[in-house]
Amino acid sequence: MSIMEVKNVGYTYDNRRKVLRGINVQMEQGKLYAILGPSGCGKTTLLSLIGGLDSPTSGQILFEDQDIAKTGLSDHRKNHVSFIFQAYNLIDYLNPKENVALTSKLPPLPILERLGLTKEEAKRNVLKLSGGQQQRVAIARALASEAPVILADEPTGNLDEDTARDITEILKESAHKMNKCVVVVTHSNELAKQADVICRLKRGELQVLDRISDTPKARNGRRGR
Amino acid sequence: MNLGIRAFLYTARKWKKSLLLFCLLLSITTLVLSGLAIADAQEKQTEEMRGTTGASFTVERNLSTGGWTSGTYGSYSTQEFITDEMLQEISSIDGISGYDASIVSMPTLYQDQKVQSTSCPVHSFCDWNSEQQGKEKLITNGKVHDFYTYGSVNTEYNDLFVSGRFKLVEGSHITEDVANGLIINRERAEVNDLEIGDTLEGRIDPYGEDPVIEMEIIGFFDIVADKDDEANMLDDSTMWDYTDYAFCSINAMKEMAVNYEDGSKIREADFYVSDAVELNNVIEEVKNISSINWNNFIITANDEVYQNISSSLSDTETLITTLIVVITVVSMVLIILILSMSTRSRKRETGILLAVGIAKPAVILQYVLETLLIAVVAFPLAYLSSKQVAGVLGTLFGKASESVIVQPEHFVLVAVGGGILLITAVLISSISAMRLKPRQILSQME
Repeated sequence: MSIMEVKNVGYTYDNRRKVLRGINVQMEQGKLYAILGPSGCGKTTLLSLIGGLDSPTSGQILFEDQDIAKTGLSDHRKNHVSFIFQAYNLIDYLNPKENVALTSKLPPLPILERLGLTKEEAKRNVLKLSGGQQQRVAIARALASEAPVILADEPTGNLDEDTARDITEILKESAHKMNKCVVVVTHSNELAKQADVICRLKRGELQVLDRISDTPKARNGRRGR
Repeated sequence: MNLGIRAFLYTARKWKKSLLLFCLLLSITTLVLSGLAIADAQEKQTEEMRGTTGASFTVERNLSTGGWTSGTYGSYSTQEFITDEMLQEISSIDGISGYDASIVSMPTLYQDQKVQSTSCPVHSFCDWNSEQQGKEKLITNGKVHDFYTYGSVNTEYNDLFVSGRFKLVEGSHITEDVANGLIINRERAEVNDLEIGDTLEGRIDPYGEDPVIEMEIIGFFDIVADKDDEANMLDDSTMWDYTDYAFCSINAMKEMAVNYEDGSKIREADFYVSDAVELNNVIEEVKNISSINWNNFIITANDEVYQNISSSLSDTETLITTLIVVITVVSMVLIILILSMSTRSRKRETGILLAVGIAKPAVILQYVLETLLIAVVAFPLAYLSSKQVAGVLGTLFGKASESVIVQPEHFVLVAVGGGILLITAVLISSISAMRLKPRQILSQME
């Protein structure tokens, strides 16, 4: 059963440039979704709409069949989704533990340790951590929030190959072992290869594939015959 | 993590920014508190000035509406005189601090059982009548033996004392309760070896049948007036030296002058107001007293001194008020600018906080709390520092440093007002970021 549903969503910039047209896709818990596409095709926009950072020009975003525009975007961001950004977006005056505690009442240290940070690193100024460590903190913050949906925008974009592989593994585990619905916007084929479902965004339309090598099953997320 | 902890952590860890705002708030609040203290001192000075400028009004007989007649001592007006009842009624009006009504005459004062000073001028005493035998005239300046004497209700409000020309240096003033009191010049008293409590006899015409009235010396005055300052300090109209002036109770004068028809009646009275600003209102109230026939009396306002200084006082007040307003406005603009820059630099943080589901009001509240946390430390310190600084700043405005006092009420006013202004400043500086959607904020940061 889908937890998130994007229903006939369109988005126009400044009432002129149409970025998304009639997007339909359903997303389930326990799966890793990768949204691929060329730069500027609207991947981040779609992720933002799913995460309630913005509102679609047309259509609906449903969480557990409830329109998030009606239940409240702020409430949706607080309780249903959590974000991982390419630029990590950590609060610079909070240490890793405090960044994780920002949205969660769970003890942050076990989560950080599980993601590979030591106790000392967990107390350090976040700006003094490496990119990979900062991204782990960002993932820890997303996981600690207990939101069922994790939205990641180019999470490995700023990382070296080894770290990117680690982060990909963590995201995959989050989907498969922690039963999260993980949606990743990426340019990375390596990451996309690990995804359970591939969504390719092209000229404002979405194609859903089971694997990266697959041919499109349907236009705009509808499965083909 | 609640917003209070976030606010505290931001303030503590971004200490350079916090320190900048702290210093700004400390200096601004110190200046404003000092300004308020100076303004208060100015107001007090103005109030005191209003009460001490001797603003008064004179009630006198209107000779133009009365008739004239002649008697033993020449012609005189038949216009009614000021009665004791009139004095009581007028003086009971709110805002009148005191009054004096006097009858002037030139009695001769005698001392009994006193040895005449060696400095006594050569004068003939042999023509004194039998009643005065064995008694000596009080020595004056060697030329005049009589005294220019005010029979006064209350010498404290006599123009010579109010204007500062005379100053009571020993004893007490004559009041309504003192029946036969006398105040003379200290130099004269010393020459005649007189002390407080000594009694003198007074008689208007030492050769006639005027009653002799015994009076007790209750005070001595010094002449403060600079006799060379003829414009203000010398009463040319009397042609009497100030050392030959004396003051006695009005009742004593009435008794001495009983043979002089209207000479024992009150022709005019001066009423002093506690606040010069209220002078015209008080006069209006006095004019409304129905039991007095105001066709027979004239009221004249005397507030030249206050009028002369009020414009300069008003200028100083305006200057201080303007300075406080300018300091506050410039400070607020400065704080809004700094907070705006701070909020702009925290756009990413705002976007992140919104992205993780923290509501906009909570984000703004955090920023407000951060500013108030700094203000909570800065305001009390400014209160302490202003206590030191206010006096020094006050001297720049011609105030005595000890008169410029920062009061707890000033602190409360500045703390409450400053708090409200700071909250407003944070809200204004947050508007631009808060109008955007989280995605717009974050995309601007990319």
